[in-house]
Amino acid sequence: MTLSHLATEDVFVVERNDADFRAGQGMTKGLGIVFRKFRKALFGKPNSDRADTEGQFNVQYPEERLAMPEAYRNMPILLYDDATGHELCTSCFQCERICPPQVIHITQAKDPATGKPVPAAAKFVLEYDTCMSCGYCAEVCPFDAIKMDHDFELSTANHPELDVDYNRLLRPVSYYETIAPTMWSDVKEQAMKKLQNNIKRRPGDIGRDHGQKIKGGAPVAAAATPAAGAAPAAAAKPRGPVAAIGKNMPEDKTAKLLAIRAANAAKRGGGAADAAPVAQAAPVVEAVADAPAAVSAAPTGPVAAIGQNMSEDKRAKLEAIRAAKRAERGE
Amino acid sequence: MLKTEELQINIGPQHPSTHGVFRMLVTVDGETLVDLKPVFGYLHRNHEQLGEVNTYLQNMPFTDRLDYFNSMVNNHAYARTIETLAGVEVPERAQYIRVIMDELSRILNHATAMGFMLGDMGAWQTALLWGMREREKILDMFEYVSGARMMCNYCRFGGVVRDIDDWFITELKKLMQGLPHYFDDFEGLLLNSEILLARARNIGVLPKELALAYSVTGPVLRGSGVAYDIRKAEPYAVYDRFKFKVPVGTVGDVYDRFLVRIAEMRESYKILEQALEQLPDATGGFINPKVKQQSLKAPAGEAYARVESPKGELGFYVVSDGSGSAYRYKVRAPSFINLSALADMCKGYTIADVVVILGSIDIVMGEVDR
Repeated sequence: MTLSHLATEDVFVVERNDADFRAGQGMTKGLGIVFRKFRKALFGKPNSDRADTEGQFNVQYPEERLAMPEAYRNMPILLYDDATGHELCTSCFQCERICPPQVIHITQAKDPATGKPVPAAAKFVLEYDTCMSCGYCAEVCPFDAIKMDHDFELSTANHPELDVDYNRLLRPVSYYETIAPTMWSDVKEQAMKKLQNNIKRRPGDIGRDHGQKIKGGAPVAAAATPAAGAAPAAAAKPRGPVAAIGKNMPEDKTAKLLAIRAANAAKRGGGAADAAPVAQAAPVVEAVADAPAAVSAAPTGPVAAIGQNMSEDKRAKLEAIRAAKRAERGE
Repeated sequence: MLKTEELQINIGPQHPSTHGVFRMLVTVDGETLVDLKPVFGYLHRNHEQLGEVNTYLQNMPFTDRLDYFNSMVNNHAYARTIETLAGVEVPERAQYIRVIMDELSRILNHATAMGFMLGDMGAWQTALLWGMREREKILDMFEYVSGARMMCNYCRFGGVVRDIDDWFITELKKLMQGLPHYFDDFEGLLLNSEILLARARNIGVLPKELALAYSVTGPVLRGSGVAYDIRKAEPYAVYDRFKFKVPVGTVGDVYDRFLVRIAEMRESYKILEQALEQLPDATGGFINPKVKQQSLKAPAGEAYARVESPKGELGFYVVSDGSGSAYRYKVRAPSFINLSALADMCKGYTIADVVVILGSIDIVMGEVDR
């Protein structure tokens, strides 16, 4: 019975070693190869080439790391423009629709005055724990707002932390540019053009009112230097309140209202969760060029620790003294 | 005369040599195996039902998770099915890229499959790492083109997601410089090793007729002496343009399967050489730009497309009702069907052989249970 239907010249029979073996012969030959490799592994060049079949191939993680290819995709991040702080996302829901495990949840931003939708996202939640890193969200995004990050050391003991919200998803465009330069330069022009169009349709601070614009998990160094190096982080970016105040309010009134709210927040200890000493460069919050002046006084971290009803200049003075002392101690 | 009694024992589901969560209910008489019942389903995750809920494109990353060693091949098979269903043309260059990825997958799969099998024989980790080293080199390249080492998600309908560039070609050529030495070393190290011969020769014999009766495919079938390879029998992509041979065994034991895998790696190497040679002349881009990936709708009908996965015939069957997602979606998984022959291969051998025979079938539970 012939079962083969392939042409005979396409088929060959593998050569079997059916001889009775004498113990030791084959293994001695194999051990010879092992010793040769072992010698090369000991004295060969570290991290050998792809063409090599001998030498050292291991990479001593975490001290040594391989360079990530640009296309590497781990978890999605959202981009914002460095210059204006505007987020690139317009809440078009393309990613939410394509996402195979359905882990993207977007809420569209609404103009508080008119109630009409604005091309920006009010909320953006991504479940990192269920994300399968397929990269479709980045692929379909027409505004190049969502991209795949290269950071893979995301382990945490706190599971709910893996429902990542907008604040923690945001990375500046410059960060993405460093991890994927050519991929970004391919789309940069059109992405920025689309963003400029969308900014025109965003009233007030909608579209840039999220987060402290974290870069790679660490706070971004602000353009505005903190006053005297010791004052509370100056020029804090308004979060939340502005959108609720209403866009038709006069400038000075907004500023006043914000100052009141900020003071209240300080009393409650709000926003002071990260009460790190200022001299250690407490989270510096990015400046927004046209933010109301009073906002820059918005107290952050250290204030709560100093005393709640202290006046502005007194607080600054106290901080300066403390900073000087710390400097003396050599901290 | 000593009276013996048959005993039923479980191997697995939590056992390192069952290659995942696989349980074998074996009946033994002393050391000799009388009966074996494979029990699976521990890794069931509703893949086929998900395929009917997802849109065609959404299902692509899920196919990565079937046979997670060869996500490139899985993607290829699935993309081919949907392309057949929707009548999508694939440019020549994309076909070549797919073939290159498939053959790289075959090399890495066979290298690790043999490593795992030798690990089952008792060559704990050493032989496995020989396979892992080459695999890692290839996976780095997969990561470069697709973005992920294992869950590549590389194919799209009408092509692939990203073109291969000069870096990839140079690295592939570098890799191929080393591969023949690697095959020689692997053979020299193991082929005549007394331990391998003692554990593999005339163990787990699967006769030709039985292999056909079980619809076994891949190296297991070829090891039993049936020259059947979809790349030759029903050439897909551009496989009809390459000169390569199909290795077959004679006895159908573990040793033959082992030899067939090594020979297949050498044939894959030949295909890679020819594909690299022909790639610059290939017409078309890496993807058919006319295809609407996200909103692809297939006309009502059905399609079955198959490819020669490193483990055997991998086929996807999709029935469409004209909407954007499959009405019925079925995977013909080679591991699953090859595994069905396990009981007949194991009967009469000792319990220590069962583990080696299972290793020689080369199963991935992700594909068996789906």
